[in-house]
Amino acid sequence: MSRVKKILSNYIFLRAVRAILTVFIVATLTFFIIRLMPGNPIEIYIGQLMSQYGMSFQDAKNQAAALFSIDLNAPLSKQYVIYMRNLLRGDFGVSFLSQGTPVALMISAYLPWTIFSVGISILISFTLGITLGMLAAYKRGSIFDHIMSTIAAILSAIPNYLIGILLLIIIGVQLGLIPVSAMRGTVSPGIKPGFTWIFIKDIFSRALLPIMTYVVSTIGGWTLSMKSSTLNTLGEDYVTVAKARGLPESRITFAYVGRNALLPLFTSLTMQMGFLMGGSALIESIFVYKGIGWALGASIAQRDYPVMQAVFLIITIAVIVANFIADLLYSKLDPRIKIGGE
Amino acid sequence: MTREILNIENLFVEYSNIRGKVKAVRGVNLKLYKGENLALIGESGSGKTTLGTAIIRLLPSSGYIKDGRIVYKGNGNEYDISKFSEKELRQFRWKEIAMVFQSALNSFNPVLKVWDQIYDTARAHGISNRNFVKERAISLLRYVQLDPERVINSYPHELSGGMRQRVLIAMSLLLEPKILILDEPTTALDILTQRNIIELLRTIKADMGLSMIFISHDLSLAAELADRVAVMYAGAIVELGSVEDIFYRPKHPYTLGLIKAVPTVTAGFRELYSIPGSPPDLINLTPGCKFAPRCEYKNSVCEKDEPMLVEVGQDHFVACFRHKEIGNGR
Repeated sequence: MSRVKKILSNYIFLRAVRAILTVFIVATLTFFIIRLMPGNPIEIYIGQLMSQYGMSFQDAKNQAAALFSIDLNAPLSKQYVIYMRNLLRGDFGVSFLSQGTPVALMISAYLPWTIFSVGISILISFTLGITLGMLAAYKRGSIFDHIMSTIAAILSAIPNYLIGILLLIIIGVQLGLIPVSAMRGTVSPGIKPGFTWIFIKDIFSRALLPIMTYVVSTIGGWTLSMKSSTLNTLGEDYVTVAKARGLPESRITFAYVGRNALLPLFTSLTMQMGFLMGGSALIESIFVYKGIGWALGASIAQRDYPVMQAVFLIITIAVIVANFIADLLYSKLDPRIKIGGE
Repeated sequence: MTREILNIENLFVEYSNIRGKVKAVRGVNLKLYKGENLALIGESGSGKTTLGTAIIRLLPSSGYIKDGRIVYKGNGNEYDISKFSEKELRQFRWKEIAMVFQSALNSFNPVLKVWDQIYDTARAHGISNRNFVKERAISLLRYVQLDPERVINSYPHELSGGMRQRVLIAMSLLLEPKILILDEPTTALDILTQRNIIELLRTIKADMGLSMIFISHDLSLAAELADRVAVMYAGAIVELGSVEDIFYRPKHPYTLGLIKAVPTVTAGFRELYSIPGSPPDLINLTPGCKFAPRCEYKNSVCEKDEPMLVEVGQDHFVACFRHKEIGNGR
């Protein structure tokens, strides 16, 4: 009995229940919302069959239904039940656009590239941002601080797709530093994946512009948050006491100021992960970088319902997982936070 | 034999802010003798904390020593603290003069265990033998009546305010400093915990030969712990003397007012006294005695010249033109 109670009140168990509930709600909402969008891919396809091959409406409809493996006459509620039942089995369905391709296969082909480019960007942007923010706080009121803070405020105010377009125009077109049109896609044809220098160099050069865009658009936010967080921490009594204790400046900077100033930024770090994955739709479309965002953009254009549903779901799951990891890590970083209140 | 260990000579400390220069400490001369307890008392903004932090040069970034010397006599040498480089200061702090702060609750880094912070302190002063530091830390924590094994592995938030203040006091004794500065050591604590800390400080005073400076607005704390008392007003010492002189024979109207303003349980609220007016603006100081506007003894001279400290009894100094008329009728 007490064992059952313990499991039920277990923090991770509760989190898992909440996560599943969230996924369910998001799956339901996306299912209905995307069906409310104007335009229906099957109708378009039926129209195509009729005009190109002179089929009758009924024949074309039957063929389309066979291809899309969806019962078109079924009411929405029945379609929903079928979708959910398949989803429970881990079946995302089959793409409308690339006929016969399972959506799961498409996701597994696109998702790693987005995780790669977004992950690297966050790493670079966060590291650089907190360093600059801390420097600005330590040199508060100096010219460095003024210039840094102004640039950071401007950068954090520009939407990332605008930065993407600017980079494309300036670096790709005006300066011609990067052959943009040759840089489409995630990996050059003929290069085998693996831990080879050629492969790593290739994927980084192709992800360069998206990564730059993410970094430039998020670094300002990190710099400003870290600056204000550091300034707050510098005013804490324990920093004064640490100085009175004669601790070396480096120890105070890293273990006393830095570590405490970082704590509040940690929550935003994981939020950013989800935010960038969702926002990658525009950036990846701009650079034709074939990650999950590009797949989302393409599938929306063609109303490829199964792919859209799957991508939205993946982004949701990514945010949930990132938040969960953040909570676990946070409790390790800040001893005042105890998971589950044991 | 009383030997001086610290000699503050004509010290001026200022803070610069948008409105101008705040003259927080104005020409303080003060000696601290070996093994004595000196209390610095005064109301908020009188410059007592500024004086205390100036001794270890831990003023906020807007503050600076305008003039004067802080001479520390230890290890057979004399050092002018006000001339120390950052590196010299770092080695000097906590090793020679340790300071216990008012904010017991926030004196510790929340993400490091007590042990890590004790070891940090030892290592900063070149003691890196873990076992040696641990033994010393455990004996000190036991000395301040804490359970060493439990406390040493705790995070600060797992300890109560009183326990944290004890840990900080224990940590302040870690390197056997010659001087301990305590800035409002009991202010943030409840009344019973205050009592315990006072008892602890008395024990330390009896056991160890170190000199202490108490900074407090709490006269009862000064009366219990101090050998000598310096009363500060508007950045200057207005009266200095033995604890008996200050409490039984005060010669400055401000000291008198402070004593009269202390509530006692038996007297009720009937005769609770408060000094009229408010402390002066330390940016635009008026000539004359700074206390004159609030003083019931003032005359025309008081508003023109500022009185200097004069000796009115053995080792009893007061900065007041009319000290002869004060305190006799109390």
